[in-house]
Amino acid sequence: MENRDPVVHLDRNFWVVTAVLAVIAAIGAWYFGTFDIAKLLPEAAQPAGDVDRLTQFLMGSGAALFVIVIGYLIYFCVAFRHRKTDPDDKIGVQIHDNNTLELWWTIVPTVFVVIMAFFSVKIWYNIVLAQPNNGVVVESIGHQWYYTFRYNNVHGEIPDAMHLEAGIPVTLHVTSSDVIHSFWIPDMRIKADMVPGLINTLHFTPMIPGTYKIICTEFCGTQHGTMEKQTVVVEDHAHFVAWYDGWVNKTRNLSDALPKVGTGAIALAGGDASAGGALFSTKCSACHAIAPFDKKVVGPGLRGLLADPKHPNLVNGDKASPEAIAGILQHGYKGDIGVMPDQAANGLSDKDIANLVAFLKNQK
Amino acid sequence: MSEATVHSGGIADHVHPEPEGFVRKYIFSIDHKIIGIQYLITGFVFLVLAGLLAEVIRVQLMHANGGFVSADTFNEVYSVHGSAMVWLVIIPLVTGGFGNFVFPLMIGARDVAFPWLNMLAFWMFPPAGLMLFSSFLLGAPAAGWTEYPPMSLQGAAGTSMWCAAIFLVGVSSTLTGINFLVTILKMRAPGMTFTRMPLFVWAQFATAPLSMVATTALAAALAALFMERQFGVPFYDPTKGGSPVLWQHMFWFYSHPAVYIMILPAFGLVSEIFPTFSRKPIFGYKMIAFSSVAIALLGFMVWAHHMFTSGMAPLLQLPFMVLTMLIAIPTGIKIFSWVATLWGGDIRFTTAMLFALGFIATFTFGGITGVFLSAVPFDLHAHGTYFIVAHLHYVLVGGSLMGILAGMFYYFPKMSGRMLNETIGKWTFWLFFIGFNGTFLPMHYLGLMGMPRRVAEYDPQFQQLNQVESIFSFVMTFALLLFFGNILWSIRNGKKAGPNPWGARTLEWQIPSPPHYYNFKHIPTVFSTPYDFAEPLPYAGLEEELTDSPGPQAGH
Repeated sequence: MENRDPVVHLDRNFWVVTAVLAVIAAIGAWYFGTFDIAKLLPEAAQPAGDVDRLTQFLMGSGAALFVIVIGYLIYFCVAFRHRKTDPDDKIGVQIHDNNTLELWWTIVPTVFVVIMAFFSVKIWYNIVLAQPNNGVVVESIGHQWYYTFRYNNVHGEIPDAMHLEAGIPVTLHVTSSDVIHSFWIPDMRIKADMVPGLINTLHFTPMIPGTYKIICTEFCGTQHGTMEKQTVVVEDHAHFVAWYDGWVNKTRNLSDALPKVGTGAIALAGGDASAGGALFSTKCSACHAIAPFDKKVVGPGLRGLLADPKHPNLVNGDKASPEAIAGILQHGYKGDIGVMPDQAANGLSDKDIANLVAFLKNQK
Repeated sequence: MSEATVHSGGIADHVHPEPEGFVRKYIFSIDHKIIGIQYLITGFVFLVLAGLLAEVIRVQLMHANGGFVSADTFNEVYSVHGSAMVWLVIIPLVTGGFGNFVFPLMIGARDVAFPWLNMLAFWMFPPAGLMLFSSFLLGAPAAGWTEYPPMSLQGAAGTSMWCAAIFLVGVSSTLTGINFLVTILKMRAPGMTFTRMPLFVWAQFATAPLSMVATTALAAALAALFMERQFGVPFYDPTKGGSPVLWQHMFWFYSHPAVYIMILPAFGLVSEIFPTFSRKPIFGYKMIAFSSVAIALLGFMVWAHHMFTSGMAPLLQLPFMVLTMLIAIPTGIKIFSWVATLWGGDIRFTTAMLFALGFIATFTFGGITGVFLSAVPFDLHAHGTYFIVAHLHYVLVGGSLMGILAGMFYYFPKMSGRMLNETIGKWTFWLFFIGFNGTFLPMHYLGLMGMPRRVAEYDPQFQQLNQVESIFSFVMTFALLLFFGNILWSIRNGKKAGPNPWGARTLEWQIPSPPHYYNFKHIPTVFSTPYDFAEPLPYAGLEEELTDSPGPQAGH
């Protein structure tokens, strides 16, 4: 088919509008390209600044593109509208294509994509590959619906806020004990899913001391919306060491081995209530308080567990006794109200259970 | 080609007699037009139900601590809302609905290649929808429309029903894909070469292979999930040696192409509406057609961009990031071509045109945020937040659903023989457009500031914006009520449309509204592209279509 398109003459208005759109697009690009994101959300860790530079670049160029597309759309709609005085059979200018124009609007976006890809890969490299390996290693484990943390030489999982030291690089390994969770610190622009059976790793360097939220962004069940924890970035080494040594000492006597669930009853004689207390604060207190039954955290409060006239039976219907408590610790319990993990999931040895029962017996 | 060969009758003019009786005519019909309308009616019924669920979500989120429904109910509500909108509303409407009704008429065919298969495919769809919605009775699926295990392994019995329902619509979609592909390849009227096909046909041509190939991956994933839930066969449970990430790969290997199954036909509808109401040939026909195919091809190679946080080898993130960015190029070409089509036109602002223009605005916005998300470092921050919710609604509601509404205002006269009320239509557009943007625009901000998606309660600092969103969502819902009211009223009382109320030039507008059972009295011959408004119509053999002549003799 020969090209029978009429020759296109762009009128003065077109160039005026083009100039105006170019100015608005430039202003939009400048506004969003230099928008100070840190004002809205702190850049509390090392990759955050890089990520925000990329975000600014994307927002700036996106704004310019949007202004140009929508600007021409509106201008053409106004300039080429069918007017009441026009004959009903009026038609538009019968042009089909314009190879030069189409070539340009293929080349320019391609060049832009190459620039964007280059910029993204550069920042991706900084975040993912080029992180220093020195610094502190922390593990975080997602549970329904709380986070725990493991530090070198601290036995067991600690339910406290994750403490970090400003300026020290962190390698954070995350996984999950049940379903998929996610570990997001918006103020640090870092996120990794916590997938059971898989370890994902984040590298970052906290920069600004303060307390920041850790938020779950992967749907994980009933209480997903409230699954949150804090990370505390402390200013200096002494503060960090004080906190860290506290947990090393508290958990010194705890077993770190992951025991198997036995079928036989657990010997409760010789349980050490004080060791049980320390264990309770690391393993149990994320879900249970030492408080009256009604003070529910995730599970009920456990004060007076063996002598509560209102609740003579445990959740599984057994009459409250040291042996019955040990049974639930050993085998766990799954009910309408939630899940109590079993011995293996909680990482308890038989001795740990005896210690916990001795501790709970004392909480009258 | 002489007139004699065009009018010679023969095999092309051989038709089966029109079925008699209500059931054969309107229920178990094999007529592509009736089946298309069946898809549209069923899809819109499901849209009402899924829309009600959306309002439950918006009412719940008016307060930071929820309280309208329990957290567990809320999780069921948004999961069924998402599943229904994707599989029971958008996909069936754009492929089964508009695809069936429109494109066989556009290529001058009497029906699709396999009419009985078409009927079978349709009749898998309503039962699947009933299964999905009735899963509320068993405890509905509650892990989002993505149903990631291990959550979905622990889900209530309705989750297995969800698997079966989605499997069923998947089979339906696959069959429709095969049917459409064969129809486009084999049943075009004489002279309807590929470069003379209307762009909606090109869009269906690009979509059909996606439905055929990608949906089978989903079917496998669903079968495995069903077996694991019902019979304990370990595919996904990590404690038994399975991998939860396996599901994510298979799910997104389908669900990313599915995004294009949902959007390409909407592109096609817009590409028909723009030339008609600009009285101009579409600008850059070939580039629009080929970019559909390019998008469909690239769409198969980017699925893992949904999984940047899930855990994969870091180097693997690179190809998925760059390939995703590449999709911006063909998509950009389409948008620029549509805008250029407006230049020098004689633009008539019908409701269909307004929706098509609105489509460009919101889809461009959603496309731009999509490019943001392709960049891994940005995605690591935005993934799983309300930014994603905003992006996907800009693409699928501001994109696909607006395209569907544009298509309804455009094709309702052809389907029913009557016009939709244009005054109510324009109110519908403006209320919908404003309501939509008011609902979803603030979500971008909320997501980046720290509001995760799929939450029944949230940080009180976000409450005010959420209330604003909910109020705008009521406006949007009201606009949809106007739309449905308009349809119910106009189907009896609308102005008579006549064969070609819009002055359009594609084949379907050259025959009566609604068309005869056999579509064309004589299969026409096509001489040129459809969009040349200055030329005579490029079809021969249509002279008797609008006359009282008896049409083809029915034989067996």
